[in-house]
Amino acid sequence: MSIASRVARPASEHRRARYVWAALAAPGAVWLILLFVIPFYVMLAVAAGQINLLFQTSVPVWNPVHWSGANFAAIWHDLVGPSSYIGPPAIRTVVYTAMASALSLVIAYPVAYFVARYAGRRKTLFLVLLIAPFWVSYMMRMLAWIDLLQQGGYVNKAFAFFHVPGGGVNFLGGQAVTVVLGLVYGYIPYLIVVLYAGLDRIDPSLLEAARDLGCSRTKTFLRVTLPLSRSTIIAGSFITVLPMLGDYYTNQLLSAAPGTTMIGNVIEGQLGQPGEQGQGAALALLLLVVLLVPMLYYSISTARASRQNI
Amino acid sequence: MAVTLPDATGAAGEELFAPSPAAGARTPPAAVRRSSIIARLRRRAVFLETFTWLYLIWSIIPIGIAVLFSFNSGKAQATWQGFSWRWYVTDPTQSVLHNAELHQAFVQTLVLAGLTTLITVPIGVAFAIGIDRWRTRTASALNFVMIFSFVVPELLLAIALFFVVTDLLHFLPLGTTAEVAGLVVWNLSWPAIVVRSRLVTIGRVYEEAAADLGASRLKALWRVLMPMLMPAIFASAVLVFAGVIDDFVIVEQLSSTAATQPVSVAIYSNVHGGLAGPALNALATLMLVISLVVAAIGYVGYRLMTRGERKNTAEALTTIAGM
Amino acid sequence: MPGGTITLRNLTKRFGDHNAVDDISLEVHGGEFFSLLGPSGCGKTTTLRMVAGFEEPTAGQIILDGADVGRMPPNKRKVNTVFQSYALFPFLDVAENVAFGLRYQGCTRAEAKQRVAGALDLVQLTGYERRRPGQLSGGQQQRVALARALVLNPSVLLLDEPLGALDAKLRRALQVELKALQERVGITFLYVTHDQEEALTMSDRLAVMSNGRIAQLGPPRVVYEEPESAYVADFLGVSNLMDAVAAPGGDGTCRLTIGEFSLTSTCGSLRASGPVKVAVRPERVGIEAFVASGDNRVPAMIERTVFLGSSTQVVVRLAAGAGLQSVVRNDDPAAGWVAGTPIKVVLPPDALRVLANDGGTVEQIHEETLGDVAPVPA
Repeated sequence: MSIASRVARPASEHRRARYVWAALAAPGAVWLILLFVIPFYVMLAVAAGQINLLFQTSVPVWNPVHWSGANFAAIWHDLVGPSSYIGPPAIRTVVYTAMASALSLVIAYPVAYFVARYAGRRKTLFLVLLIAPFWVSYMMRMLAWIDLLQQGGYVNKAFAFFHVPGGGVNFLGGQAVTVVLGLVYGYIPYLIVVLYAGLDRIDPSLLEAARDLGCSRTKTFLRVTLPLSRSTIIAGSFITVLPMLGDYYTNQLLSAAPGTTMIGNVIEGQLGQPGEQGQGAALALLLLVVLLVPMLYYSISTARASRQNI
Repeated sequence: MAVTLPDATGAAGEELFAPSPAAGARTPPAAVRRSSIIARLRRRAVFLETFTWLYLIWSIIPIGIAVLFSFNSGKAQATWQGFSWRWYVTDPTQSVLHNAELHQAFVQTLVLAGLTTLITVPIGVAFAIGIDRWRTRTASALNFVMIFSFVVPELLLAIALFFVVTDLLHFLPLGTTAEVAGLVVWNLSWPAIVVRSRLVTIGRVYEEAAADLGASRLKALWRVLMPMLMPAIFASAVLVFAGVIDDFVIVEQLSSTAATQPVSVAIYSNVHGGLAGPALNALATLMLVISLVVAAIGYVGYRLMTRGERKNTAEALTTIAGM
Repeated sequence: MPGGTITLRNLTKRFGDHNAVDDISLEVHGGEFFSLLGPSGCGKTTTLRMVAGFEEPTAGQIILDGADVGRMPPNKRKVNTVFQSYALFPFLDVAENVAFGLRYQGCTRAEAKQRVAGALDLVQLTGYERRRPGQLSGGQQQRVALARALVLNPSVLLLDEPLGALDAKLRRALQVELKALQERVGITFLYVTHDQEEALTMSDRLAVMSNGRIAQLGPPRVVYEEPESAYVADFLGVSNLMDAVAAPGGDGTCRLTIGEFSLTSTCGSLRASGPVKVAVRPERVGIEAFVASGDNRVPAMIERTVFLGSSTQVVVRLAAGAGLQSVVRNDDPAAGWVAGTPIKVVLPPDALRVLANDGGTVEQIHEETLGDVAPVPA
């Protein structure tokens, strides 16, 4: 048997296998490129493109050489300039998101901790109840609160019944509190499931070891459980913060007032406005750039984790 | 101290699960310090449990009320006027059955969920296997793009998709076609991530065993890997289906006329004015029932498929919830 | 001549810049029970995986009954494997697991059924056909894995630590069974293990591996009694290894200096000179009263005596500093001497084996090459 044939065969066998794997990945890859990678390029082409003055529609410019920065300049002007109508919503978005995600964490962590550590034989019951909202669509959950918060709704009725001052409030008429609580209510189920999964993975023998070495329960929690759940908390925060920053519908449903407008509403509004699509695209890209750092962090750490597991 | 502590933990643990009023009386007087530890621990778990129940009430009761009022015989959403099927079937103009917009939305959601699941799951599973085995730089890059698509805010993707189908990919017209195309890419990461992590736990040894026994690479994939991936594939199908029912942003951006608006968009556009009233609650309740049926099927199916693997209820529940 | 002859010729496997298997050549005869023995990371499993077809050799040949199969995919080779984890398909029952490979041999349904029954009978699992692997004990799973491989009538059966996951008692019982089974079916067994007792009791021949190379190859008795290197001696559990300085003596002997004492050896690498390791089996270490005199006797002190049941172990420390173990009969006077008693240790020339210094003991090699890998259980 000649050396040449011995060498040639494994190579072709190996290559054939690679073709099989590449072929399996191909449909998903095509879909991702066609409808995930390219769309963002199109968005850039629209943002850096021109406007058809007659129809007031955006005209994408495909060649980067001819890109214009006009839309970005306009957005920048609106963001920090004297007229600055995007500035306040931007700040509001950050404040609302920070408050809502912090509040979510404060509520979700004890609940997830209790179910993971103390629920005992009733764990299944608690898990079913925790996961239940996960299966109720977001719109229905918002609808439920709209029913409760409307002027003749049960919340105002309860306020009146207990003679709480401040009854008869129009909760749905531009209250920041409503929007923040709405965001919390909307996104907390995802956070709880993430936190539960992370806390449940902590090896109980580590906690027993800490107790054995003289830590009190509180100390054990602070010195062992909390540090061990740090990455879970970070991952959970991403899960709530990223969608909250792009949320416009919660706000629209629970307030719809200019006083609570968030950045998502601005982008959404610009897209529906003739002649402003390019600016909407530019603003969306700006948001994407701001979010790129946390998204990249999350993606890289997830990708690395999945590689290390192999 | 190190000797008494595990004992104290054990006793405390027991009482946390079954608190009994006699617990204090049973404690020998000598063990004063221990009993105070127990009392403190019990207080703490009781606090946590109360907190948990309050959270659950807060999270579930509003939905319960919304469901309840879908059966209200009147138009009010905060005054019970008696039970009726009015908003489901009997009202000649506004019931889900008779109102064209609500009716269509319901059908459209099911069509989108069905089509998207049918397309996403096979593509995603194949993608996961391919990426896991291909092991080249291209594969890592694609995997990265897939994970990135999982975290990108939906609004940004929806806008980008809107631009791409209106300005470039004209063979994907707005409406059902664009909606499905967009939903597939948005949900692709479910099967890809779930199946990939299952692949990692399975490892290569079963395929090697199949090859050793005479199966070719593809036969091993089909006869050994597929059955072992079935629970993950099934779980991801449930996740995609439920994800589409829940979806709002992408379908809102990519729908064309009222005929291609699914339930979420119909609720959104009608809740202030329009068809506001218990009819929307009825529509939402129908979707809720379908979601819960899918979840139940998912749970039971997953349990049946993983029978031999000594997995517990909690594992099945969290898997079905995408964890 | 029966089939099932494997010849490895200059077989090499490189992972990155690490040579997992480094230029191995050996021949396994048809019908032989051949073991590859060594600590984790020595290349034994990689060698087995190349024979099975799961790894492609970087260089060299694997010749099975005259044909080079080195580049053949695993499903085309007439060898079958019993995996360390058994790799039984959890979604198939026992009979379906055993029948898995028969489909690719073009068996009719009736023939397959008959062969499955035969294979299960061979491993004494008749009646378990409809059980799932999850419902079987570790030992039963191991038998199913054996039946699944043997039912295909392979030329060679490859076994990768097949008893590794079982408890000690079951392992010992299955060693005997496995050996008997191999003699009954007459198939070549290529067996990989890190357990020297397992390899010594079952093999017709064995190869001790170190760092991707073969340190010594031969029948168990020869390898055990005549280790060629300190590494092999140490790995096979020789408890007495001493440092000495060798110098050629007259007429086929070797002069050894241990501390200030001089000894004569008549076995091992007699032409060695300079620092060497010397091995001596505990049962050949004699203990005499301190007053005794003669050649190959060195002064020592009893450190402790340990009753072993059928015999007594006496641990002594030589005046030169080295510790030695001796095993004496329970009625030997030395068995009754207390710690601290000065004595003379007798090391007969034909029991002192001079070992070529090949780079140290198992532990030393481990530290140098593997670093963080856990040491081998001795």
